[in-house]
Amino acid sequence: MIEVSGLKKRFKLTKDHKIDKQQSIDPRQDTDYFHSVRDVSFHCNKGEVLGLLGPNGAGKTTTLRMLSTALLPDQGLIKINGVDVVKDPLLARKKIGFLSGSTGLYGRLTAKENIEYFGKLHGMNKKVLKNRTEELFEMLDMNSFVHKRAEHLSTGMKQKTNIARAVVHGPEVVVLDEPTTGLDIMTTQTVIKFIQDLKSQGTPVIFSTHHLDEIDLLCERVSVINEGISCFNGTLSQFRETGNSQILNEAFLNILQEQSNV
Amino acid sequence: MFEVFKKEVRELLRDKKTLLFVVALPVLIFPILFGLMGFLMSQASLEAEQKVHVYAITGSQYAPEFAEKVKFHKSFKLSEVKYETIDEMKAAVRAGDLDVGILIPNDARTTLSQGIQSDWKVVFNDASALNFIYKRVNDAMKSFSEILQAEKFEQLGVTKEESIALLNPIKIEKIDTADKRENLGEKLGAFIPYLLIPLVLAGASYPAIDLGAGEKERGTLETLLLTPVTRTELVLGKFFTVLASSLATAFITVVSMGFWVSVAGNFVDAKIITEVMGTIGIVDLSLILLMLVPLAGIFSSLVLAISIYARTFKEAQNYMGPLSMVAFMPLLVAMMPNMELTMNTAMIPITNVALAIKELIKGTVDYSMVGMIFAATLVLAGVLMSFCVHWFKKESVLFR
Repeated sequence: MIEVSGLKKRFKLTKDHKIDKQQSIDPRQDTDYFHSVRDVSFHCNKGEVLGLLGPNGAGKTTTLRMLSTALLPDQGLIKINGVDVVKDPLLARKKIGFLSGSTGLYGRLTAKENIEYFGKLHGMNKKVLKNRTEELFEMLDMNSFVHKRAEHLSTGMKQKTNIARAVVHGPEVVVLDEPTTGLDIMTTQTVIKFIQDLKSQGTPVIFSTHHLDEIDLLCERVSVINEGISCFNGTLSQFRETGNSQILNEAFLNILQEQSNV
Repeated sequence: MFEVFKKEVRELLRDKKTLLFVVALPVLIFPILFGLMGFLMSQASLEAEQKVHVYAITGSQYAPEFAEKVKFHKSFKLSEVKYETIDEMKAAVRAGDLDVGILIPNDARTTLSQGIQSDWKVVFNDASALNFIYKRVNDAMKSFSEILQAEKFEQLGVTKEESIALLNPIKIEKIDTADKRENLGEKLGAFIPYLLIPLVLAGASYPAIDLGAGEKERGTLETLLLTPVTRTELVLGKFFTVLASSLATAFITVVSMGFWVSVAGNFVDAKIITEVMGTIGIVDLSLILLMLVPLAGIFSSLVLAISIYARTFKEAQNYMGPLSMVAFMPLLVAMMPNMELTMNTAMIPITNVALAIKELIKGTVDYSMVGMIFAATLVLAGVLMSFCVHWFKKESVLFR
């Protein structure tokens, strides 16, 4: 289970950004800081896919970076299956699998070497790693290209390699930050199938996206972040109800509008 | 940390650019470049030496013996055009019609016979670095002066021995305590660090850019930060890769230089160089390489810190330019004439290593001073490495 409550994160403004502030009407910016995340809370249960929604710059990526231990929160609590990510980040990292649309691979290593490298960094021994990679190659239909250098792989092959890399250590929870951005239909389908498989295995998944059709397909519950604040947490049917529309895009826009009015 | 190091080395060895900088540059490109430079310089020198200069003398009738000497000199050819004034000669030299013009005043005969100094003028273009004109004219004039001096001494009844004593009252016999190694070391010793130290920096720069800013640009850094490996271990893994690349460049350069010097020794008369190189000895040679280790540590920490800070490969490359200047300035100080290794110069980073290498090549080194420089450089490398680790832990640096 993933628990996030009262999360806050601010960034010190650079000289250039301070100049921009004079023209900015963003309520998150003060004299010295940009308050990227002001109050975010949500949770994701076992076997559940939580859709994380929000416009560009809402604070989704910062939230997920804190969740995955890349950034340290200024305030708030994040727990992964009971482990506080701030107090014990190394243990928390063992429990998390992280994948984003912009994640790259080491071009001069083969697909297999890329995956094995991360397995070794996760402390997996040779035998366990061998079995796990073989299992993943089979599952993701990767055997035809595992010995090719990543720089020579197609976008779809790269994303399959990335998926395998993200879950090679068998994470207890998976965090996906816009994993389908810029992908073609075939590759998107691979990612969706991967999420469905995780769900069926009982792994909690947090899935940030701009594609509401994917939310409709995969998620039980939705969390909306706008201007660094959680403005909705609930099931898909509650989302439609709060947004006054059966069409998800419309419901989403209505929720954002309502929060802006508040 | 070892896994990070192993992976980084594997990736670097598969990178053509790294192989070019670390292996091909010292092994092949430098000898080719230096060989080509040497060939072109010797050709230019030979050409300048063999050149026949077109000359003109105004007032040759006042010093016919001198005019005769120049006329029969193999490097001079008399101009067919006659020049009367100094301005005409200047214009002809500027136009390229004349290489050298000599103006002998019409009172030359009288002044010389009366024992008064005669004022002659030589017009030529002195801009070229390889110019033998003035030297040749001077040589001809010197030999003419010697004839005049001999005539004068004879008239005055001065014997040859007395004339020598009059012209050079003191005879100096040079007894040089510096052996061949020290002599050549003084000249070569400043040049070798000037070649080696920038290579140590170059060997560190490219991999560092790839391992820091390159990771950010490719989008692999964030994934790496999410592994259960501490940031200290991650940055140390990267640091040791950069350090290894830097030292490999230096080592390959030293071996390559040794190889090419021995090859060159078979074709050209470089006996003195091979003799001197032979006297350096394995201990001093090892010390030269050892002195480069902490220096490579300093460079590796600096370039890695810069690379971690940069957002892109290009931004990191932009920062490397000023850093090279910072490394070159202390080297220039070490190359200054009469710059010796003292307690003061031993305190200047990079300069101290360059001077220590020079002293090691000369064979005049104070080993306690070398030890002190090694320790001081090591401490500085340690401090910079700690800064690099601290830098790598800062969110504002990693997520700019």
